[in-house]
Amino acid sequence: MKKKALSLLLASAMVVSLTACGGGNSSSESSNTTDSNASTSTTDASTSTDANASTDANASSGDAAAETSDIEKPEEITIMVDGTVFTEENGRDQFIAKLEELTGIKINVIQPDHDAYYDVVGQQIAGGDWPDVLILASTQMAGYGSEGVLWDMASAWENSDLKKRQEAYNGDGVVSSMYIDGKLYGMPATHGNGCVTYVKQAWLDEAGITTLPTNYDEYYDMLLKLKEAKGVDYVVAAAGFLGAEAPFVNYLPEFYQDAWPSFYQKDDGTWADGFEEQSMKDAMQRLADAVKDGLLDPETNTYGTADVRNKFYDDSLGVFTYWAGTWASNLKNNLENNGLDSELVALSPIAEAVPPLASGPAYIDRVSPAWCITTQCENPEGVFKYFIEAMQDGADTQFLWTYGVEGTHWSTAAETLYAGTEQEVTYADGEFHMLDNLETPGSQYTKAHIDPMLALTELADDPRETTVKPEALAAQQLFNENSVGAFVVPATDELNQYNGDLMTEKSSLVTKVATGQMTVDQAYEEYTSQGYADMSKQVVDSLNALQ
Amino acid sequence: MSGKKQAKPSANKTWAKMYKYRGFYLMFLPVFVFAVIFFYAPMLGVRYAFTNYNGIRKPDIIWFENFQRMFSMKNFWSAFVNTIQISIVKLLLTTFAAVVIAILLNEIGNLLFKKVVQTIIYLPHFMSWVVTASVFSLILSPSSSGLVNSFLLNIGVIKSSNEMIYFLGDSRWWRPAYYIINIWKETGWQTVIFMATLAGINTDLYEAASIDGAGRWGKMWYITFPQLKNTILTVIILNLAKVMNLFESAFVLQNDATLDVSNVLETYIYYQTFNSGAIPNYGYTTAVGLFKSLVGCVLVLVCNHWSKKVREGRGIV
Repeated sequence: MKKKALSLLLASAMVVSLTACGGGNSSSESSNTTDSNASTSTTDASTSTDANASTDANASSGDAAAETSDIEKPEEITIMVDGTVFTEENGRDQFIAKLEELTGIKINVIQPDHDAYYDVVGQQIAGGDWPDVLILASTQMAGYGSEGVLWDMASAWENSDLKKRQEAYNGDGVVSSMYIDGKLYGMPATHGNGCVTYVKQAWLDEAGITTLPTNYDEYYDMLLKLKEAKGVDYVVAAAGFLGAEAPFVNYLPEFYQDAWPSFYQKDDGTWADGFEEQSMKDAMQRLADAVKDGLLDPETNTYGTADVRNKFYDDSLGVFTYWAGTWASNLKNNLENNGLDSELVALSPIAEAVPPLASGPAYIDRVSPAWCITTQCENPEGVFKYFIEAMQDGADTQFLWTYGVEGTHWSTAAETLYAGTEQEVTYADGEFHMLDNLETPGSQYTKAHIDPMLALTELADDPRETTVKPEALAAQQLFNENSVGAFVVPATDELNQYNGDLMTEKSSLVTKVATGQMTVDQAYEEYTSQGYADMSKQVVDSLNALQ
Repeated sequence: MSGKKQAKPSANKTWAKMYKYRGFYLMFLPVFVFAVIFFYAPMLGVRYAFTNYNGIRKPDIIWFENFQRMFSMKNFWSAFVNTIQISIVKLLLTTFAAVVIAILLNEIGNLLFKKVVQTIIYLPHFMSWVVTASVFSLILSPSSSGLVNSFLLNIGVIKSSNEMIYFLGDSRWWRPAYYIINIWKETGWQTVIFMATLAGINTDLYEAASIDGAGRWGKMWYITFPQLKNTILTVIILNLAKVMNLFESAFVLQNDATLDVSNVLETYIYYQTFNSGAIPNYGYTTAVGLFKSLVGCVLVLVCNHWSKKVREGRGIV
C-alpha cells in the first residue's frame, strides 16, 4: 500500500508536470508570446504558423504594396542580424540609436554569434516567434520562402521609389537574380561579391615569371615554377576542396573552371545536376593531379579560411583565391606586418574558367545575403518602405549603414590615430576617416554593413575615395569587370530531403579523389551504387516539375 | 472490508512517516522538479519521430515513415556500424592501455617519480577535444611542419614530401590515428580506478609469493592480474552501456575525406539537422535519435544483466 501511494503520488506529479509542459509547448506553436528580445511589431502580430495562412498574407500584402501612398510607418520592429551589422562590442547601441533617430522606428535587435547565426535562425523560426526582419543567405531564403515564412516583396519592390530611381540605382540585375519562381523574398543591400586569385609579386619575381597566366596550362606552369623557386611544400590552398554552400567552387576557380557540383538551370530552362557532368569529373582529376604534384595542399580538406590566410601571411603559400575589395588591403597589411613583401597581383579569370550562365571567363559573384520580412510582420509594406528601402536612400540612412556613427566609427575631427606606433596617422580638421576598432584596437574600421565598393545605390557625398585603399579598389574593379552573378535554386521537398546527404557525399568524393584515396571512376561508381544518383534525379525532376 | 481496514492504518503510517521526515522530502523536491523539467518533459519531443516536422509547418503524423527512410539510408547504416566499431575498439584499447600503465606505475618504487608520472599522464584528460584536435592536426600534418611525417622522412620510411601520409585525412589512417589520440588523452585518467584496486591488494600475498620464489613477473601474473580482473570487467561493462554516446571526439577529428569511417550516429544527426543546406527535418533526426536511445537502452539492460553476474548481484541500474 505504501508503494502504491508513493507510485500514485509520483505518477500524479509526473502527469501534472508533463501536461503543464505540453500545454506550454502547444501554446508556443499557436500564439506569438514575446519576451524582451522577441518580435515586437506595433500591434499584435498575426500568429498563425500555418503555411496557407502565410500564403494568403503574401497575396494580400503584395496587392496592398501597390498603393504606396497608404503605407503606414511601423512604430516598432524586431530585426535579426548576423555579424555583418555592428556587434554590441563594436558600438551596436550607438548605431541602432542613430538608426532609430533617422527612421523614426523603434528597433529591437536579435544578434546571435555570427558563426552560429543560421543555427539560431532555425531555432527561432522553429520556436514560432519570428522577428519582423532578418538577414538570410540565398539557400536559407529559398527554403524559408517556400515554407511560407517570408513575405513576397515583389510587388513592393516593383512599386518602390528605389526601383524608380534608376539613375542612382544599379541593383536591378542583382535583385532579378534573387527571384525564385516569380517571388522575391529578400532585398539585397549590396552586390554579393566574390573571390579573385592573388599571387605574390615577390614569388613571381623569384621564379622569373613576367607574364601572368591566361589559361590553365600557363597557370599550372606558374605553380610549378613557384614551387621550384621557393622550395615550399605547396603553393596554393583553400578552405575545403568544395565549399559547403553556393557558390561552392569560388576558392579554387582555376581547377573547377566550368564545373558546377550542384543543381543549375541550363540555357534551355531545364535543371541539371552539374556533379554528374564530364566537366566535374575533369575538375576532380585536375585537383588530384595538383595535389599529387605537390602544388595544392591536401590539408585543404581540413583548413578553415583563417588557416589558409595564416599560411599566406607566413609565406608558406604564394597563391590564394580570396575575396575581392577590402580583403586585398587586409592581405597586404598582414603581409607588411609580418615583414614580407606585400605586393599582390590579382589574376584575371583564366580562359577555361567559364561557370554556368557565363558567356566567357568569369569569377562568380555570389548571391548577396538579403534582408527578408517574415509573414508574421504586422506591417510588411511599412517595414519594406521605411526600413529596407531607406537603407539605400542615397543619403543619411545609407551613409549610416555604410560608415556607421560619427564619433564611434568615423570622424572628421583633427586627430592622430595610433600615435607612437608604426601605423601613426594624422588627420586634418574636416578630413573624413574611419576610427579605431572598438573590439580590436590597432585596426581601423573599413565599413559598416554596406561595403562602399559593393553598394547598389550611389551615395551622396560618398567619402569612399578617401577610405578605400587603391589595391582594394583595383581588385574590386577587376572582379566587377570579370564576374557573373550566381543564382538561387528554388526549394522543393525533394531538395530539402536529399540535398544534405547529396552535398555531404559529393564533398566526400571530391576530397577523396583530390587526396588520392580513389580515382574519379571509383568515385562515380560509388555515387551511383550507393543510390545518390537516384536522389539527384528525384531532385532534378522536382525542380523541372516547378516549371 | 477487512483489507481496507488493514490498509488504512498502513497509509496513515506512510503519511505520518513522510510528515516526520518532511524536511528530507522538502530537500528532495528541487531535485524532483529538476528531473521532471529537464529529463522527463523533453521526452515529449519523441513524438516528432512519427511526424514530418520542419519546425515551421504543423507536424504531420506519418507514423513509421521516418524510420523506413532511416533504415533505407546507406549513410545511416554506415554511421551506426561506425559507432559500434569505434566505441568498442576504443573502449578495449584504452582499458588495456590503462591496465598496463597502472601495473607499470604500481611497480615504480620512487614515490615522487610515481606522482610526477601520474600527474603528467592525467593532464591530457583535462584538455578540451577542440584543443586536442588542433594539436594533433599539427603533429600529424602531411607537410614538413608535421612532426610525425618529418620523422618518417628523416628515417627514410617516406622517400619524398609527395609521399607524406595524411593521417587525419585518409580513411585508411583515420581510425588508427583516432585510437592513438584517445589512448593519449584518456588512458591516464582511466588508470585511477585500477591504481585504487592495486593499492588495495594485500601485501602479504606478495610476501608469500616471494617466499615461494616468485619473481616480479610471477607476482604480477599470479597476484596482480587476478586481483584486477573483476575491476577490468566492471569498467568494460559500465562503459559498454555508453557506446552509443560518441560525438565530440569524432566530430572534431573527422573531415570530408574520412566520413565513411568516422561518421557516427550523433554526428550524423548533427549534419542532418544543422548542415543539410536546407530546412532541417526534425522528424527524421528525432527518429534517428530515438533509435540511438533505444539501442543504448538495450545495451544498458544487457550490461546490467552481465554486471549482476560479475559483481555478485550488483547491477549498474
